[in-house]
Amino acid sequence: MSPVAPAFPEDEVRRRARSGAAAAFPAAEDYGHVLFGACAPTAPEDDIDRMRLVPPVFMEERLKKLIELGREPMYDDVELTTGIGGFTAALPVYVSALGSTRAAGGDPGLALGRQAGRLGLPMVIGENVVPVHGYGRLDGPPGDATVTLLGRLRAYTDELPDGLGGVAVQQSTEDADAEVWNLVYSDPAARPLLDSGRLAFELKTGQGAKPGLGGMTVLDTAAAARLGDRYGLDTAALGERHVLRSSSPGTFTAEILRQQIRLMRNNFPRARVWVKLHPGRDVAEAARVAVDAGADAVTVDGAEGGTGWAPVAFTGGVGLPLAACLRRLADDPPPCLLVSGRMWEGTRAVKSLALGARAVGLGRAALLSVAEDPDQGLIRFTECLAMEMRMLISALGKYAPDALDQQDVWSPDGN
Amino acid sequence: MNHDTPNSPPSPPAPRAHLSSPATRSTLRIQNRLIAAAREYLTSAGFTEMLPPVIGPVTDPGSRGSKQVDIDFYGHRYKLMTSAILYKQASLLAFDKIFCIAPNVRLEPLETTDTDRHLAEFHQLDVEVAGADRERITGLLEDLVVHMVRSTRDALPADFELLGRDVDAFTELLHGSFGRLTHADAVAELRAVGHDQSPDAEIDWAGEALLSSKAARPFFVTDYPKGSRGFYDRESRTEPGVLRNFDLIAPEGFGELCSGSERTNDYAQIVTRMRETGENPQKYRWYLDLVREGVPASAGFGIGVERLTRYVAGRDAVWQANAFPKLPGVVSP
Repeated sequence: MSPVAPAFPEDEVRRRARSGAAAAFPAAEDYGHVLFGACAPTAPEDDIDRMRLVPPVFMEERLKKLIELGREPMYDDVELTTGIGGFTAALPVYVSALGSTRAAGGDPGLALGRQAGRLGLPMVIGENVVPVHGYGRLDGPPGDATVTLLGRLRAYTDELPDGLGGVAVQQSTEDADAEVWNLVYSDPAARPLLDSGRLAFELKTGQGAKPGLGGMTVLDTAAAARLGDRYGLDTAALGERHVLRSSSPGTFTAEILRQQIRLMRNNFPRARVWVKLHPGRDVAEAARVAVDAGADAVTVDGAEGGTGWAPVAFTGGVGLPLAACLRRLADDPPPCLLVSGRMWEGTRAVKSLALGARAVGLGRAALLSVAEDPDQGLIRFTECLAMEMRMLISALGKYAPDALDQQDVWSPDGN
Repeated sequence: MNHDTPNSPPSPPAPRAHLSSPATRSTLRIQNRLIAAAREYLTSAGFTEMLPPVIGPVTDPGSRGSKQVDIDFYGHRYKLMTSAILYKQASLLAFDKIFCIAPNVRLEPLETTDTDRHLAEFHQLDVEVAGADRERITGLLEDLVVHMVRSTRDALPADFELLGRDVDAFTELLHGSFGRLTHADAVAELRAVGHDQSPDAEIDWAGEALLSSKAARPFFVTDYPKGSRGFYDRESRTEPGVLRNFDLIAPEGFGELCSGSERTNDYAQIVTRMRETGENPQKYRWYLDLVREGVPASAGFGIGVERLTRYVAGRDAVWQANAFPKLPGVVSP
């Protein structure tokens, strides 16, 4: 069953996955007889949507590029290659963790890995993949070994070009029982990534869709029996045929976060350390603790984010929107800040970069693209996104994502 | 130690060749004498030898990226012991002074295959003393090692000669009074010679080899930072972030022989430290129930039996001190 995302511009994403860069424009056949202009906007979803990118008239940076090139620069002169948490990516984009949500299991998860690998986009492998799908060596579920963590790793690395991309593997509190990081770090299959500096471990403190809660999965009663001794199971919440399985969110204090990061650096000296924060009110302090303890990247998942299942109260009314997170982080931004939450098109991505992010994460957009076309969907979608980003960044008179800054963004409240 | 040669020592031969080699026999006789001497010393000092469990629902979370071995215990996930630490603390409910010689299994990262000092299966001489502090336990360790080495040197001259091990190498050791430096001093010393040692982490293997090569007698490194060790090493009450622990490092480049510490035995501190080390307290249920009701304050250590044997016998690699060696990632009997 193909995934649907009613709270997301699904049709637009699927169009991009089919048509690639052409989807960044109105239909070419309309050129010359349809009069275009500012479109009647759809209702803005959040503060980032309400902001606008504002190219200046005078462009010192463009003059520098003109001198460097000896000709007028164009949008395809924008160099999108970006360092992301110790990895190198062809554009400032990575694929977010999709965890054990059923929509990311099986073939879509593998197709996603293959396409992200081919594109050289860093990819995060979510928590709970090992406890739910297995690791993929001796313990893999028979006949379904490809959905395991190892299966996803292989699908990605088989396609990965030299020098690009990398994998960040999450470990939740319950994953610690399965020793996911120890397993990956000592596995021959992960060695090429480790040897080329393209393996990271991501410590997850929470997620945008349900800040303060752990991961949630809906299981049928038989699957619940199998996992029963490791997770909180609520048999009453969802009626008779389904069981709600909750991971614990894990307890963090500044000292716990600091020491966990240090332990990761101590135990896995050849892996990068990423830290994912939920959009908490103390996100700036948490980011500072993570950076000081030596995190190579800090990911902030805005309250708009999430592919997984969450209580409606949380998706509607809990957690800071991404714009507010970026404002709180603006005074002392982490050197490598990665953000996610409703990312799918160029303006939201470029605004986020201008507001301090190093790269943006694709969650639902990546899954829908792959669902639309398992061979080329994400590749076409990314081609469109890259072109849009190049146009937007060059319009601001800049030619690399790290040249963007807050002045490039205008907010209706006057900031 | 012949580590000046660019070639690393050979990998383990087949069991027949390994076990019937005169060098292996001499090495294992030295190991046997070291263990017998430890038993003599500890038993006469009032210690009780315990037989350590091999499996349990939980084990030492370990460090530096090694993986535990899961086994299916009637449908429950059990572990082979990576160390006896949890049982050592619990054993103090029976006796105040205990020791055991425990097999440990750790699936070490593949990068450790050619360090000459890692085995996936090895043995540890574990000692734990109720009411001891670091001064007392390091003093005991020092006396124990001196006794073990002296007894072995005196008993087996022919074996040392066959192995080409000059027993004068132990002259400094047999005087006792091992050296001491703090982790912070070790970091400073390494940085002064251009080695980029992190102040927040264990001394890395290359750094440890540097320190070890310069030394003429064993020495203690104390006061490791919190993020580098397990929850059971007690944090200093007066210096937050510093652990009341130690490693014993051999001279001549042989590196670490032993780790030990004063133990965390306060329930709330243990739970907090478990979180700081990324552990899920849920799986430590039996242990936490025990410490919640109280276990004695203690200090203890674990000597790597193969590592000590390798040092005393002067062998190139730790696998040469094991009858059936298993190198990380190498399929072997």
